[in-house]
Amino acid sequence: MTTQQDKDTTGLVFNIQKYSVHDGPGIRTIVFFKGCPLSCLWCSNPESQAFQTELAFNNGRCLGFSQCVRCLKACPSQAIAQMDDKPVFNREICKDCARPCVDACPASGVIAYGQRKSVAEVLRVVEQDAMFYTRSGGGLTLSGGEPLAQPEFALALLREARRRRLNTSMETCAQVPWEVLRQAAPLLDSVMFDIKSLDNGKHKTFTGATNTRILDNFQRLVAEFPSLPVHVRTPVIPGFNDTEADIRDIAEFVSGHANVSYEVLAYHRLGTQKYTFLNREAPMGDKTLPQERFTELESVAREAFWTPGQEPVAERAVSSQTS
Amino acid sequence: MLQPVCCEAYSSHEQRLQDRMEGKEDKFRATHPRVFTILESFDGLKPRIDVERARYFTDSMRQTEGQALVLRWAKALKHIAENMTVYIDDHQLLAGRAGCQGRYGILYPELDGDFLGLAIEELPKRKESPSYITPEDARVVIEEIAPYWKGKTFHEALNKALPPDVHKLTYDDPEGLASRFVVNETASFRSSIQWVHDYDKVLKRGFGGLKAEALDKLQTLDPLSPVDNVEKRPFLEAMVIVCDAIVHWANRHAALAREVAAAEADPVRKRELLTMAEICERVPEHPARTFHEAVQSQWFTQMFSRIEQKTGTIISNGRMDQYFYPFYQKDMAEGLLTEEKAVELLECMWVGMAQFIDLYISPTGGAFNEGYAHWEAVTIGGQTPDGRDATNELTYLFLKSKREFPLHYPDLAARIHSCAPERYLWEVAETIKDGAGFPKLINDEEVIPLYVSKGATFEEAYDYAVSGCTEARMPNRDTYTSGGAYINFAAALEMALRNGRMKKYGDRALGVETGDPRSFTTWDEFWNAYVRQHELFLKTAFYQQHVIINLRARHFAQPMGSVLHDLCMKHCLDLHTPQIPEGLNFGYFEYIGYGTVVDSLSAIKKLVFEERKLSMDELLEALDNDFEGREDVRHLLKSAPCYGNNDEYADAIAKDIDLLSLEYAKKYSPELGMNNDVRYVPFTSHVPFGKVVSATPNGRRSWTPLSDGSSASHGADVNGPTAVLLSNYTSKNYGYRERAARMLNIKFTPKCLAGDDGTRKLISFIRTFCDLKLWHVQFNVINRETLIAAQKDPEKYRNLIVRIAGYSAYFVDLSPDLQNDLIARTVHETC
Repeated sequence: MTTQQDKDTTGLVFNIQKYSVHDGPGIRTIVFFKGCPLSCLWCSNPESQAFQTELAFNNGRCLGFSQCVRCLKACPSQAIAQMDDKPVFNREICKDCARPCVDACPASGVIAYGQRKSVAEVLRVVEQDAMFYTRSGGGLTLSGGEPLAQPEFALALLREARRRRLNTSMETCAQVPWEVLRQAAPLLDSVMFDIKSLDNGKHKTFTGATNTRILDNFQRLVAEFPSLPVHVRTPVIPGFNDTEADIRDIAEFVSGHANVSYEVLAYHRLGTQKYTFLNREAPMGDKTLPQERFTELESVAREAFWTPGQEPVAERAVSSQTS
Repeated sequence: MLQPVCCEAYSSHEQRLQDRMEGKEDKFRATHPRVFTILESFDGLKPRIDVERARYFTDSMRQTEGQALVLRWAKALKHIAENMTVYIDDHQLLAGRAGCQGRYGILYPELDGDFLGLAIEELPKRKESPSYITPEDARVVIEEIAPYWKGKTFHEALNKALPPDVHKLTYDDPEGLASRFVVNETASFRSSIQWVHDYDKVLKRGFGGLKAEALDKLQTLDPLSPVDNVEKRPFLEAMVIVCDAIVHWANRHAALAREVAAAEADPVRKRELLTMAEICERVPEHPARTFHEAVQSQWFTQMFSRIEQKTGTIISNGRMDQYFYPFYQKDMAEGLLTEEKAVELLECMWVGMAQFIDLYISPTGGAFNEGYAHWEAVTIGGQTPDGRDATNELTYLFLKSKREFPLHYPDLAARIHSCAPERYLWEVAETIKDGAGFPKLINDEEVIPLYVSKGATFEEAYDYAVSGCTEARMPNRDTYTSGGAYINFAAALEMALRNGRMKKYGDRALGVETGDPRSFTTWDEFWNAYVRQHELFLKTAFYQQHVIINLRARHFAQPMGSVLHDLCMKHCLDLHTPQIPEGLNFGYFEYIGYGTVVDSLSAIKKLVFEERKLSMDELLEALDNDFEGREDVRHLLKSAPCYGNNDEYADAIAKDIDLLSLEYAKKYSPELGMNNDVRYVPFTSHVPFGKVVSATPNGRRSWTPLSDGSSASHGADVNGPTAVLLSNYTSKNYGYRERAARMLNIKFTPKCLAGDDGTRKLISFIRTFCDLKLWHVQFNVINRETLIAAQKDPEKYRNLIVRIAGYSAYFVDLSPDLQNDLIARTVHETC
């Protein structure tokens, strides 16, 4: 691919977030890809799931018809009705609309999730913080959604980022063809790899897909790219994988590689509001994860996970017997 | 994709408040018992106005009329030194107060005595920063002090001297008692701008040595020369007198310490008191020999400076980690000192500072300096005169003391440069994370080249000390002391929208009648209307300054400041002389409301002239009704590109506005004989300035605060903290040298900086700030919830310290307006 072809490649992005300091090394900018092959029930970014732009409505920001009727005026197809001073959208009609109501709304109450952007446009924003990457060792992080679910765009973005000497990282659910991940790996300085459960049945129920391909991709990745830092993460979800056995199984599965690290993350409900914006029910309801439970599982993860040279006591005993 | 959750986190400062509420003892109390005891003796007390300084100053000035001003001033100081009550405080290791025990403030009637009668009645009732006075002292002020100064103060003279067209934008009444808050002069509420003395000179030579120099010079005067005899002789005599004055004052403390020691039963305290007596007999007359003597000598000097004159927001402390270091090093090597003992002495100084309140008598001064503002900046870090990193063990002790001792004194300023060691930045970052707003950071990579380009040598520029809120001073080279104009440019914007008028001041045209903007058909027409108002304000400010510079020398002298200054001694001129040969005259005027004006112009350009989403008529109507019933217009305006987001559209306007000021300064500063450069530092003036400006096109409601310094408008910076820095960078015109400080506030939540990883990322943030050649940055690390809780329950949060505008203050000491202003600033957090 030539530089120009890569720069012109476009994809669907729903957010570019600067000054991210909790994902990956240094001060980073995260590019969120829209569309995900999984549909995890706990997903905290529901706007990331669909592969098309979506209309959303933030009732809290809307000024109400008594103050403002700009969306109503802008709508070309009478898709907006009125209920208690606020607009109600007929999202079936809205699906294929250019949505002038979004631009008309002064209060960011009517939102469109997802914008088509070229690699050049994305990198122009990412490079604005280049000074901060230099000092902190940070750079670009691809996230989503699933970045590799838009393979051409993701690979073009990574290639062009490499040409511009940006440090690259990616968060992936890995539910993608191995061939795509194989092409992405050499373009990355690190990967954040999510493994949610080793239990295939539960995985299917909670994410909509089995874990076969994900686990397979993990093993291929560490085998073919042993020097690539891979940070495996498990979101601990109440009722899904919040037992010691769940976490221990994953920790053991990913152990034993020099450049792999492991971390569990606590379930949170920060995305709940966005379900409401999209007129969807949050599938997890008001379930929460008790802090004590999470702390216990953190220590389970710490104890069970190991890298070469730092085998757990029991493990070392076994290996010394065999040798 | 999932996002990791960040646990809610408290800053150490917030944790400390929580512990206190739960009745736990402060974890550092046990290791700092002496200073905690002293702190508890005055913490939370309402300051008392002490009249002794004003009384003895006035008594003496009454006797010396007709003599040279600098001589009169020296004699007045001598009279004060001989008569003012001296104190030895319980538990203290240092001696020297400028007034009564507890928290106190003193009066400078020569400055603003015409306000005194009124102020004495008003001060106790003032909502912001109240203070009290005893009935007897009030009588002294009203009957003895104020009448003498009637018709003699600088403020009255200035009020009379300003031409009518300048006066009308400066004051709101014929007597000039109330500010117009448009082109605001600040020369009448302080005798000097922020300043820093060459303390090193006192430590090395003592006032005895300086007196000897003056005596030698007196010997060499040409007995037939009129200048030598009419100008230089009284100057040098004043130098001799002022040196005697401070030494006499110190010796009175020595005598008192011996007296107290004689009555002291506790042998340990008795020994301490006798040591104090010996030290006060030695310094500041002679060179200091030990760390303790050096600290005492410096303390006497800064306290006597406070008595000498009202340096705006308190005399600064200079590069303390540099000039104390040789004494520290020597005492440590000889086993005379321990780290703990050194910290204790320094903290004895901090609690001494904390009891002195910089009182503002005029209502304008009060409104500009809310929360008992103080900038006695102690500078740490930076580079040596030959350009090497200057950090030392003492640097780290200052930072450690700041983390362990819960006091917002002194104001701590850390110099940052490209070769600053990682350990230094690590400890600076850890101290910032503590959450009390310290230290503020000043960037060598901006200050030094700029100062060299303005005429300093490299050695002088490398050795600058932070002075006041954000200034950088070279103590033997700077010679300019006049307070500059604070200009409300949001008012210029309002005048462009209202044909030279402001809603607050009715139908009188205060500005240029640039026409009804409804008749403008292009953006250029509107921009030109703004430019003409902007120029009028600059013109007014420069006229004002011209008058001020020449008038001040007739009203103010500072013999002690002069004896400490190489150039004053060389040329036998008082430091307040308008032009001192070889001196560098670095002054400034303030652009207030930067973010407000940029965002407003951006909204007008984009929405009215480019996208035509809004007509000028609709805009003016919405503004006039303060957006009543037009929330949609308000939100539409807020949706325009805003400064602080690294947005090219808004930042280009910001850069153009900056350029207007630079071009004007470049052309007309030389006429004033100074560098009158543009600065973006508000103190707390953006609050009173906001109170005269009606609704603005950035969606800001009438009479609410303007944006502060070079920070974004409230809540307008939605693109994260990196974008805030970058907007600052992009909007600067680096090709011009007519720029001075820019103040930048950034607020983080504690969780954003949690752990070692958070510290590392804060360090890289600071390194990038340094790379970008920004002048200043300071941080509040706090949860918004804490501020809201403190507003609701001030009693519980009495000790909550927040960063305001180059200084930290107790949150509960601030007016509700300023509290809301702080709460409304964007808090940066990411997950």
